[in-house]
Amino acid sequence: MPANGNDRVEIDLGLVEELTNKETAALDAKHRRSLEYREVAKTHLPGGVSSSWQTWPPHPIYVDRGKGSKVWDIDGNEYVDYHNGYGVMVMGHAHPKIVEAVQKRVELGTHFAQPTEDALVCAENLAERFRLPYWRFGNSGTEATMDACRIMRATTGRTKLLKIEGTYHGHHDSLMVSVFPSKDAAGPRDHPASVPQTLGMPEGIVEQVVNVPFNDADAVRRAFEEHPGEFAGMIIEPAMSNCGLVLPDPGYLQQVEDICHANGALLAFDEVKTGCTLAWGGAVEAFGVVPDLVCLAKAIGGGLPCGAIGGTEEALGMIIRGELDQVGTFNGNPLTMAAMKVNLTEVLTKDAYRRFDEVNGIFERCQTVIDKYRLPASVKLLGAKGSIDWRSTPIHEYRDLWEIDDRVPQLAWLWQLNRGVFKSPGSKWESWSSSIVHGDEDVQRYVDNFEELASAIAS
Amino acid sequence: MTDQATEIDPARIEELIAAEESTFIEQNPRSAELLKRASQALAAGVSCSWHSLTPHPLYGDRGRGSRLWDVDGNERVDMHLGYGAMAAGHAHPKVVEAVRSRMGLGTHFALPVEDTVVVAESLQDRFGMPLWRFVNSGSEATSDAVRIARAGTGRDLIVRVEGCYHGSPDSLDFSYWPDLENPDARDRWVAQPHTAGIPAAFGDLLRIVPYNDVRAVERVFDDEGDRIAAMILEPVMLNVSAILPEAGYLARLREVTRRHGAMLIFDEVKTGATIAFGGAIEWSGVTPDLVTLAKAIAGGVPVGAVGGSEQAMAVVVDGTMEHEGTFNGNPLSMAAARATLTEVLTRDAYDHFDRLSAVLVGGLERSIGGHGLPWHVNMIRSRGGLQHVPRPVRNFREYVEQSDRLIHLRWLYQVNRGLFEPGSDPWTISVQHTEDDVGRYVENFDAFADAVTA
Repeated sequence: MPANGNDRVEIDLGLVEELTNKETAALDAKHRRSLEYREVAKTHLPGGVSSSWQTWPPHPIYVDRGKGSKVWDIDGNEYVDYHNGYGVMVMGHAHPKIVEAVQKRVELGTHFAQPTEDALVCAENLAERFRLPYWRFGNSGTEATMDACRIMRATTGRTKLLKIEGTYHGHHDSLMVSVFPSKDAAGPRDHPASVPQTLGMPEGIVEQVVNVPFNDADAVRRAFEEHPGEFAGMIIEPAMSNCGLVLPDPGYLQQVEDICHANGALLAFDEVKTGCTLAWGGAVEAFGVVPDLVCLAKAIGGGLPCGAIGGTEEALGMIIRGELDQVGTFNGNPLTMAAMKVNLTEVLTKDAYRRFDEVNGIFERCQTVIDKYRLPASVKLLGAKGSIDWRSTPIHEYRDLWEIDDRVPQLAWLWQLNRGVFKSPGSKWESWSSSIVHGDEDVQRYVDNFEELASAIAS
Repeated sequence: MTDQATEIDPARIEELIAAEESTFIEQNPRSAELLKRASQALAAGVSCSWHSLTPHPLYGDRGRGSRLWDVDGNERVDMHLGYGAMAAGHAHPKVVEAVRSRMGLGTHFALPVEDTVVVAESLQDRFGMPLWRFVNSGSEATSDAVRIARAGTGRDLIVRVEGCYHGSPDSLDFSYWPDLENPDARDRWVAQPHTAGIPAAFGDLLRIVPYNDVRAVERVFDDEGDRIAAMILEPVMLNVSAILPEAGYLARLREVTRRHGAMLIFDEVKTGATIAFGGAIEWSGVTPDLVTLAKAIAGGVPVGAVGGSEQAMAVVVDGTMEHEGTFNGNPLSMAAARATLTEVLTRDAYDHFDRLSAVLVGGLERSIGGHGLPWHVNMIRSRGGLQHVPRPVRNFREYVEQSDRLIHLRWLYQVNRGLFEPGSDPWTISVQHTEDDVGRYVENFDAFADAVTA
């Protein structure tokens, strides 16, 4: 195998395709019921699924049940779950304490047009974790970031938003821009184009959002200089989580906050993916920067649909004073709050996060494998989150993905799937979310499968 | 503002409000205390701005059947039912069983489960639409429906009815309760944002029309028909009491939209499975291109849904419109929805609603007549409302001519006498409500009518 200049092998993509065909055929054989069921499901659900992302090739996999670190599909295949529903189930499936809490609450009423005390307990816990005093609840991450946009705009009286190219903040109109722009559409790096992520987004809305590369504070500074007084705020995933895991450079987040504030704009962290997964206190704890607003969802609710937004007194001032409505029928409903309360106060405790140090001690062996086979790849790990970047230097910003051929991560996904490991689908990256109940053998299985893959493609 | 129809003295209303608010404060001390503590961590002490009642929020403790208990231990008949979401009643045994058993099997995978299909089939049975996608709220459903219409037609404009509520997406959160002192809103039907922080660019794409006004819709379509992606409305307005469509209104909207190649979207978040087994589609006999649902369909668990014809959903089927959401179709929401749709809100349930609504409406009409009050009641199965005018209001502007102070007084009379209802939103009854429950509404209403006519 010819080695490239910096001693990493070059992966033979022809071999990758050959292996992919084999793996796909093997999967089909194991997923007969899923394949059949898809035909039934397609007559009632577009694509046979509830969300376009659930149709990840080669086909959707219909799940029967989950417990702890495992899920079982309708063909009876058992998997160690590292997808965890896009990083939601970091407490493990059917955690007994959450099961008990919800089973109790459902008999006491799940939804009133009145708040319950559990909402307060959840808010107090989140305030401690994220160092922001005031909270409101919603039903999804999409709703949380939608609330953030409205708060930033209402508080400053401005309209434009600044975001990072290559981040996903939910599917409402204001932020479905430059989520995954193609090379053709993305424009120059120093002035990324605002690219609608889907059909059905009017131009006048798309142009309200300006994009800059991650990990580039100068780009943020320039954007503010070029749009003086126009930005209501900036929303950022403090660690990018839609291209694998991309960590912020030291000092970057603080610089971003300083620039926003110097320009009279607010800063929102979208911690929907990083909240309660990177650390007990999410990215705020992991990186030591407290923004004006934090958006949460996914892992905080213990497996129930949930969303939350927290902020400083200034940022939530208009809501506190009744000058800005933040509303939603199911906001803070007793059922979600019961699950969230137990999840935050009894399951995802500070102690629980120590487990991820142990888990990652085993995941680090993937780096050993990479070095042994001289793969052009690297591992990133933080808390429950990890990724393998299929590139000789780690992914540092969105456009680095363009150097990655998606056939390799797709093979890696199929390879793990055929060997009993389910991880998040993704075209150019390989990423996972573990849980506090994943056993050492669950993690070792990932590493062993990865080594087998490495050996197959580096030969 | 004088209530012209009844000539009830506004000073009298204020006097009564003051007395009732004192009573409320006496009856709800723990809620008031909890508000203080809650205000340290929840913005305004609540998890949703609508929870900020006057004089102060009530904090719920538990619910069962038709009853709700607050943290002061006050038991009330619940005819608010969580903004009309609890048509199944609180803690319905079938929903409880479905949730309890699903909990042990895992509640979320971001992958489809069999119940997703069962629920979709059940919704097709009710609403006739073949294709469904699930989301987490009514707001997500309407946001998605607008995008589907824009993507499917290649157009941007949306026709929206003043006074309807479609949730909080920026694309629709205009003219939901416009300030009619604002001449733009009043005279030119310009889209008025519900709150600060919504870019004008969204409002620029809306065309606002009154409810029950076909000519206004026809004019908008004559001017700009080839730029309109869809018209969206609550087919029966359930945001400001219950306002019924006039004969032929919905059918004419169907005809106008179809003629111009635009979609018709029924926002049935409030009417779906509450006013009929098959919601407003069944009740009116008119079939839109898309329907949005939420609230009552999952018996008290957060869920939303968008349903449509093959043609309307084509952009979702072929993937040109990306449709997603982490919790979409999650097994817990689907289990609760399955139980609610197939075991609780069965066809029988609507007979129950008919019987109870006859008792409630009959009782109210007797009281109204007996007090010589020129007021009016509308009710369709589980949803209904009072209008303090002699003839049914036809649209938002007619509704808001009523005294909001009178409506607040009416609300106070109920909440202080063991019944929790919304203010201007219409009330809801559940399958677990009884004649005694609605009887209490009538009794309290009698007391209120006595007081205002004394």
